Order: sequence, then structure tokens, then C-alpha cells
Amino acid sequence: MPNAYWRSLKEREAEELQPPKSETVPTQGEIPSGPGRRGFLKAAGFSFASAWLAACSRAPEQKALPFLEEPEGIIPGKSYWYASTCAACPAACGLLVKTRDGRPIKLEGNPGHPLSQGGLCAVGQASILGLYDSRRLKGPVAAGKSATWEEVDRELGRKLEAVRGQGGAVRLLTGTVHSPTELAVIRRFLAQFKDGRHVQYDALSCSAILDAHERTFGVRVLPRYRFDQADVVVGFDADFLGTWISPVEFTAGYSSGRKPEFLRFCYHIQAESRMSLTGTKADRRIPVSPAGMASLMAEVAAAVEGGAAAGEAGEIAGRLLQAKGRSLVVCGSQDTALQMIANTINHALGNYGQTLDIVHPSRQRLGNDRELELLLRELEAGKVRVLLVAGANPVFELPGGEAVKRAEVVVSFSERPDETAEASHYVCPAPHALESWGDAEPAAGLVTIRQPAVRPLGGARPFVETLAAWTGRPQAAYELVRTTWREEIHPRQRGQADFETFWEQALQRGYAETGSSSPAARAFARPDLKRPAGAPDLELVLYPTPAMLDGRHAYNPWLHELPDPVTKVTWDNYVSLAPGAAARLGIADGDMVRVESGGRAMELPALLQPGQNERTIAVALGYGSLLSRRFADLGPNWIDRAPTVGETGLVGVNAAPWLRFTEGTLRFESAGVTVTKTGKRRPLACTQQHHTLSVPAHLAPSPREPRPIVQETTVARWNGERLRQQPLEPDRPELWPPDHTYGPHRWAMVVDLNACTGCSACVVACQVENNIPVVGRDEVVRKREMHWIRVDRYYSGPVENPQVAHQPMFCQQCEHAPCETVCPVLATVHSAEGLNQQVYNRCVGTRYCANNCPYKTRRFNWFAYARKDALANLVLNPDVTVRSRGVMEKCTFCVQRIQEAKIEAKRRGEPVQDGEILTACQQSCPAQAIYFGNLNQKGAKAAQMMTSARRYRVLEEINVRPSVGYLKIVRHESAAGGEKQHG
Amino acid sequence: MKSGIVTITLAVGLACSLWLLFVRAGTFHLPSNQQGYEPAQPIAYSHRLHAGELQIACQYCHFAAETSRHAGIPPANVCMNCHRLVTSTLGALRAEDEAATRENRKARQVISTELRKLYDALALDAKMQRDPQREPRPIAWTKIHNLPDFVYFDHRAHVNAGVICQTCHGPVETMQRVQQVPDLSMGWCVNCHRDATRTGIGGKPVQASTDCSTCHY
Repeated sequence: MPNAYWRSLKEREAEELQPPKSETVPTQGEIPSGPGRRGFLKAAGFSFASAWLAACSRAPEQKALPFLEEPEGIIPGKSYWYASTCAACPAACGLLVKTRDGRPIKLEGNPGHPLSQGGLCAVGQASILGLYDSRRLKGPVAAGKSATWEEVDRELGRKLEAVRGQGGAVRLLTGTVHSPTELAVIRRFLAQFKDGRHVQYDALSCSAILDAHERTFGVRVLPRYRFDQADVVVGFDADFLGTWISPVEFTAGYSSGRKPEFLRFCYHIQAESRMSLTGTKADRRIPVSPAGMASLMAEVAAAVEGGAAAGEAGEIAGRLLQAKGRSLVVCGSQDTALQMIANTINHALGNYGQTLDIVHPSRQRLGNDRELELLLRELEAGKVRVLLVAGANPVFELPGGEAVKRAEVVVSFSERPDETAEASHYVCPAPHALESWGDAEPAAGLVTIRQPAVRPLGGARPFVETLAAWTGRPQAAYELVRTTWREEIHPRQRGQADFETFWEQALQRGYAETGSSSPAARAFARPDLKRPAGAPDLELVLYPTPAMLDGRHAYNPWLHELPDPVTKVTWDNYVSLAPGAAARLGIADGDMVRVESGGRAMELPALLQPGQNERTIAVALGYGSLLSRRFADLGPNWIDRAPTVGETGLVGVNAAPWLRFTEGTLRFESAGVTVTKTGKRRPLACTQQHHTLSVPAHLAPSPREPRPIVQETTVARWNGERLRQQPLEPDRPELWPPDHTYGPHRWAMVVDLNACTGCSACVVACQVENNIPVVGRDEVVRKREMHWIRVDRYYSGPVENPQVAHQPMFCQQCEHAPCETVCPVLATVHSAEGLNQQVYNRCVGTRYCANNCPYKTRRFNWFAYARKDALANLVLNPDVTVRSRGVMEKCTFCVQRIQEAKIEAKRRGEPVQDGEILTACQQSCPAQAIYFGNLNQKGAKAAQMMTSARRYRVLEEINVRPSVGYLKIVRHESAAGGEKQHG
Repeated sequence: MKSGIVTITLAVGLACSLWLLFVRAGTFHLPSNQQGYEPAQPIAYSHRLHAGELQIACQYCHFAAETSRHAGIPPANVCMNCHRLVTSTLGALRAEDEAATRENRKARQVISTELRKLYDALALDAKMQRDPQREPRPIAWTKIHNLPDFVYFDHRAHVNAGVICQTCHGPVETMQRVQQVPDLSMGWCVNCHRDATRTGIGGKPVQASTDCSTCHY
């Protein structure tokens, strides 16, 4: 019997308190009165006459403008791919930029990239929309008025000259900068001044990790975590699959260690205060408050070092000791003491050099909170004459960030008019990463190139060019990058003697592996592990969400509308509380609550989060940004509309003022907060109950049987049946004649639920590829979100600490598709390749198909969703129809990619190879959980996976024969299997 | 009362329809049927001369037809392969030559009015060099064979399967001004696909799919 799964607390209650089953079908109320059949026929007749009239006109004239001189190697209508580097966050994953007719239209992961290995997260996928943002700054701004670059260069040149002569502090405040070129340019720029300093910080700071390594190993480095090498992973509040440092790289490594087919199955323990994406994948999850974390970690350290420990600490230590040198302990806390405990544990287990690399460290977080705090103090004291801010938004992201205004001259390099740009005297906008040359060094010895894929769309100037101009040596970004590579990077490697060959090769691949000269670490110095006392009261934890991160992409509607992978909330941040705590405080889902502490207060809607620690409340960072002002008019304009933005005119509330500096690090926790109900309500736009596959309680048979939607197995059971092969076709009796004859192709997809982390990169990838519109908050509340993939999240087990399953759900391309039989106009029919085709131009919008779909994967265009922004429309994929109002749509298995591959294969005169067609969701998946291929091809990966003993089909009992298979989750112990659960 | 208005509206609609049917029966088209469309082009380029008399292969100019979904309108630099030297009709050149011999002078450069437009678009001066004073301007041709936005026709698939250009574009080599010959309706496409699957193309068996998603996605 399958687990009892629930998607929300309401559903769980309904399951527990079964209402008496009514004998009759519930009445739907009176049939609405209105125009009857005759009226309809009259109207139809009139419409026909109008169409007749319209038919007399010709289609509008269209122009075609060919090149005057066509560039060699570029053919209109063909897509070209360029290797580049993602600039959406400092993780700097490898990119392939798809350009079509001179404009980039899609970002995909670079499969050859040593870190990201072909995946790309939701934020990276969505960052292409920033290129076509019509509200980007198009040129420099001086004192609030637009200016020219000459004017700004002249004025600032004068001011900098004065500082050069008289002295005075010049400070450059940036996010993490690991680009060799940027670092070289910054060095040259600051060398002009007697008191010039570069301060780096990260809004999602990891400063404590670097500080702890400085204390224990003598070098201030961030280790490169090798999740692929670990057999036991223990995470202490580190959301490494969702937001922490380099999620794509970590997800790839983590899932490569959890492939049941290869008999490698890493054990993952996660101790955390809130339910993070990483916690949902853990084999053992321990809800601990941030205060309790210190004592838990100290106990683990003591036990690992030879002491004894009981309870949870003993359990963790036991697992770790079984995997010495093959385990990995990561800690997301900003408390240096805790990070030193983590170092001690890793050192005692011999993990350094195995699963943690400090010889070739990561450079994805270089921020130093101590220096940042010092700079803020200098600013407060008015000691800074010139402050330059690049790649950061301190006014929004930092507590006391307004201090930047105290500098004599403030220059911002923001792309958009954000908080810091508004507080600056000069804004010198940098272009989008796809418009300019650059480079990055995300890990020591791995240097990547960022190449432009389009001419700049505005008058922005790259940061390095601006700084070079102010250094008195104006140079183009391309020349600057080439110079750095010639002088710094090329001598570091030994493979290529000739620079041009080396450069060409790196440009083609997107990266180059070179040696690095990191300072040598000294021997481990064991720190004094003091045990900090825990605070007993309610603690506030601030956290980034996988979509919004630190808020730098708050302009991006795709990311706002992406349901949070755990809570499934869109378009808002909220206070999440444990259901137990909420019950004590009398708070229900959607109640506005007031969070107060030490004179600060914020009001946010509440959300009850199963699995959260009872003494913790959590609020997401990155919301309430000025960049979200633009969403005031988002969504269809009709009589019953409600705005997407809140009362403040922004999306969500900025929680960054609640960050605090303690002992030289920026902390995410604040103790001693109080939560009170305000009496107001703001129901959240939460998609978790939309498009549900479960039977509504009042229609369910009694006794209630859970539907086997998500299926799980255990390691023990899996080992027994691993070698068993499943037949491809179910052997259920059929009422339908076998009238589908398939040719050489029969497309199918397999989703490995064990690998899927729920990160939702696929959702945005699909949105970009298939021109899926954004509908706005109000429409999401009305269950009208348009995503073709949704990632269903199911809980099972106790509310205090449930197990979680993620299930990507999209059109299952059924062989006996229920949608096909009910369409009155044959707008959805079966293809000879197993696809369930949706023909937009034939659809009349009866929505019968959506009603009859057992998987609820069809989406209806209730409106012609705004496409007024001509610039934003350039991101549309020209290979996919933009659907109009009144049309049904759904996943097509990226049929445009199938067609392209088939036609190209035919042109070459050979069959389509396995792996040649990658659907958008499959390509972006960092965990490689999606397989797509031809069932009729021997040896195709998808066909192999279809025969795995883990494979099942969702709702197999209704015998619609979907072309999508799911691979069962493999758990170390099962929640329902009667085995001991959770200690 | 209300139904009276509806009846009158319907009657007027019907009368209009009948009148239109009567008047325009001969030229009636379904919406977006552009059969017979023959717009004037910015340059009066003659396919009859180039493809017919001079027998230049279609794909010399429309070279992308084999590799891309669009056959493409040739960029002006393809025209210039010949028209750097050929600046007018043979007749006009000969006449100028003869006149020059007769008048005992050097032959002047003769540029036809249509080719003048090409050189203007490229901003070329009398010596066929780029004139830095002028901006080149792309030539805005009027599209004739226009499929709706929800149809994805791919030239590659057809050209590589051996479908000759005239199947869809008509006898272009005989046209002074290009006209749309078939109606390019879906029924017309599907019939051809069925026939091709049945009879093959040029003796070669082919599978011309009639799945919706062959063209609509």
C-alpha cells in the first residue's frame, strides 16, 4: 500500500476526518439562466456573416528585409550556439547561448563545463529576460538626469583628480569578483590613490566559512565541496541544493552519488531550522533551531573525535565515522564558531583533500563581512570621499546600507534604477552579461570566458571599460580580457604554447583549465570548541529562495511567478511558522502577522510550514525591492482584477534590515522576536492545491485509498529487484482497439524521482523555450498559472517532520488520451510518433480536454496575456507559436526540437541519434533526472530506463498508457513500511 | 421587441452576404488565401530573365533552402557577384557601345533604372565603391508566399527530399513578376504529402508525415 501523501495541511485534515460519504452526486446548483440555444444559434449566424465580410479582405502586406552583405557562416533561420559564462550569480556556471537571427533566445548549461556539467538553475535560465528589459538604464545618469558618457567621464575625472591630489578614501564596494580581468582593472584603478581599497561582500554571505578556514588553516579560502565524492553528507542549515554557494554544481555532484543503478547511494542527514529544498531530499532530517544547532554540532564534533554521544548527535557521528574520508559536513551558519566546529569534524574524519578541496578552492564567495562592517563605519563617520558600487545593491541588501549616501561622491554601476542607483550621484550602467566581454574564475584553476551574443541594446558601458577610462587608459572590454588572458592566464597553463590557439580553444569550449597558485594552507590548528548557550525564545531566520536569491533579479517576472519549490507560493514573501507554533499563537495560513524585535517591525502574511522547527520563524530575503515596482500593471486588465503588487506598490517586504553584524559576520538569525496577529488577511498565491491529482474528499470511495501517484521503495527492497526488467507495455486488458501504429520513432520520457530535487529549473527552462506567458498574482490565485511543467510536492508522515517527494508533472502524452476523445473539433489528436498533439489554430476553447485530463496538465489562455513590450518580445522563441486567447495549451515534448533534429538528420541522411534531442527541461536539469528518447530505438537511454524495475506510470490503473515513466524514489528507510522512522 | 432586432440584424447580415456572394463570387477567398497575389516589388526583378532565359539555378540565389528553414531572399552581395560588371541589359550596353563607336568617343557607363536602385541600397558610387557619405539601406521586398504564424514550413525538409521549387512556387522561371500560384491552404499541403507518401518523389520512396505536429507547434 502506498504512503498516505498530502500536499497541504488542509488536505491532511480532510484525510483524517473523513466526512460521511453522500449517496448522490453533489448538486451543482441551478443551471444559470441566460441566452438559450436559440440565442446562441442567432449569434452564431451573425458571427458567420461577419466572418464572410472579413473574408473579402487580403491579409496585410508583409515585408522581408534580407542582409545587404550577409556575414559569412550566418544563415537566417538557423540557430547558433556560443559558449559563455552565466552572470546571474557568482557561481558562474557554464552556458551555451542559443542565438537566432542575431539575438540570444535561450540559455542552456554547457555540458562540458567542469562545475555545472550541463545544468543551469532557474535563475540562470531566467536571466536572459534581463537582456530585453525595456526599463534598463540606457545611458549614464548624473544627479538624477541622463547624461552622456563624455560628460560623466569629464566630471568624475575632475573629482577623482582632486582626490588623487588631496588624498582621501576611495572605496570600491562590489559583490564577489573572481574575474581575473575585473580584478586586474580594479587593481590598476585603485593604485592611483593613496587610500584606495576594494571591499567585497555577498548579500548571501559565506564570510564565516572563509574566516573559520583562516583561523584553522591559516588561509582565507572557501573550500571546493565535492559532493560527488561523498558517501555521507551532513548539512547543518546549508541549503546546498537550492541556494547555497553553487547549487547547480552541488546538485550535479550530489545526484551522481545517489544513483541506485550504480549501487552508490550516499546517505544525507540534514539538520535545519526551516524546511529547505535540501532538507526535502534528506534521508534523515532533524528540525533544529539555530540556537540548538551549536550544541548539536559541538556534540557531533566531540563524538567524532572519540567521545560518546547519544541521540541525534550520536546518530550523525555514527554515520560519519563509518565513512571516514568519504563524508562531507557542510554548515550554512554565519557563526564562525560553528564553522570551526564543522572544520574540526571534517578534519577529524580526514575529509580535507578528499571531499573538501582547499588546494584548489572555490572562489564563488569571496566577501569579507569584517571589511564590509568597517566600510559601513567609515561611511557613517563620513570618512569616505568616493564610493563606487558595482554588482551590488547595498542600500537594499544590508542593514544600515543607507550609509552609502554619506560618501562625498557615490557612483553606482547598476543595470537598473535600484535602491543604490537612486542613492547615487552618478549611475554608470553596465550592460547585460550577454552584451559584453568578460571572464570568471569560479574555482582556482578554472577560468571561463564570457562572450557577448548580441550588440549592446542600450548605451551602457562595461564596468571594466569605465574603470579603465578613469584610470587614464581607455580600452575596449575585449582588449582588456585578451590582455589579461595573454599576460596572466596563458602563462599559468602548460597545454598550449601559442596564445592564439589557447584563446580560440577556450573561447570555443567556454573555459580553460589552468594551474593556480593558491597560498598553501598550514596544518590544522584545532580551535577551542566553546559551546554557545542556546536562546530559548522565538528566533527569526532569514533565508534566500531558489528563485529570488538576494533580490538582484527582482525585476524578473518569471522568477516571481515560479512557485517556491517547497511552499509553492508565488509573488510574495511570508512568515513561515511551524503548524504547532501557529496553533499556539492562533495564526492561520494567510493571516497578516507582525514580527517585532528591538524596535523593528514588519508585517507579512503567515504560512504554515510542516517540518519547520517550532521555535523558528523564517522570512525570505530579496523581496520588497524597488525593481518590483514595475509589476503594478502586470496581469490581464479586466473588471475583476487585483494588483500583483502589495499595498506598498512592491512585491513582498524587504527583510534585509533584520540582518545584523555580530562578531564580524553578517548573521541571518535574530533571537527574541515576537509574532502577533494583526487581524488582517492576505491569502497567498499558492499553487500547491491547484491541479491536484488526488480525489476530492467528498467524492472519494470509503475507505479512502491513497492513489499511487508517488511511489517509493527502500534500498533493501531495491537491491532485491534491481536486476529485474519490466516489460515496456502494461499487460492490462484494453477496450480500445490497438489503432496506433508507430513508425521508427516513438517518443517517451522517464523522470527519475530519486534524482529530482524539485529545484524548478525545468519550469523556467520550459517557460523560456515555449513562450509561456506570465499571468500575475491575481490570476495565479484563480488557478490560472500557465506553466506547462509543475513540480508537485507531496508530504508524508508526521506534520512535525514529514518526508517530502517532488514530482515534475506535465502532459503524459497518453496513448489512450482522454483529452483526445472529448475534443469536438479534433484539436488534440495522436501522432504517429506517440505525441499527443495540441493544434492551437484548430482549438476553439471548449476546455473539455482539460476537464477530462487525469493529470491536470492542460493550461487555458483565459486572456491574451500582454505582449505589448516590443523589446521583451524579442526573447520569444520563433519556433513556437504564441498562443492567443481562448486556446488550450500543454507540454508538447518540445516538438519543435524533435522536428529540427529529425529534419537535420534527414538532411544528413542518417537516423536521429539517441541524445540528439534534448527537451528544454531535460537540458537544464542539474540532477539529470529527465531522460527523453525514442522507445523504438535499441539501446536508447530512455528505453532502457523504461524497463527498470523502479519504473512506474502515474495512475496506471486508469490505463490511459502514458508515454512518461517515473522512477521510484529510493529511501534508506520508508515512512510507511513499518520501519523505524526518524530516530 | 428584442427578438425583432435580432431578426432584422440577421436579415441585413444575410442580405449583405448574398450581395457579396453575388458581386465577388469570382474573386472570393477564404481569409488568408492569397492565391494570385502579385504585388509590385521595390526593384522590378525578373525571374523570367534570370531563372528562365539565363537559367541560373534557384539555389544560386536562394542558397539557404538546403540548410535552413527559410530559403531566404538573397542578400545584395549575391546580386553584386554579377551586377558589379553587368550594369544594364545587353541591348542597352550594345546600343551605347555602337553610339560610342559612331560618335568616336569612349563608351559611357550605362546603368539601368532598376539596378540603380540596387546600387543605391548598397550606397555605391559610380566606380562601384562604397560611398561613405551615404547610408546603405536594406531592400524591403514584399513577401508573396506567406504562411500563417502557426505554420512551420521548412525548406530544408522539402528541398532535400527532392521536391522541386515549382511544386509550391509555380513556374517562377516564366514570371516577369512573381505571383502566388497554388493557394497554399492546408488541404493543398496535405494532399501533396499523401501523394508523395503513395508515389514517392522522383522514384524515391518518402514518408511525408501528415501529423499535425509536422507543421503546427
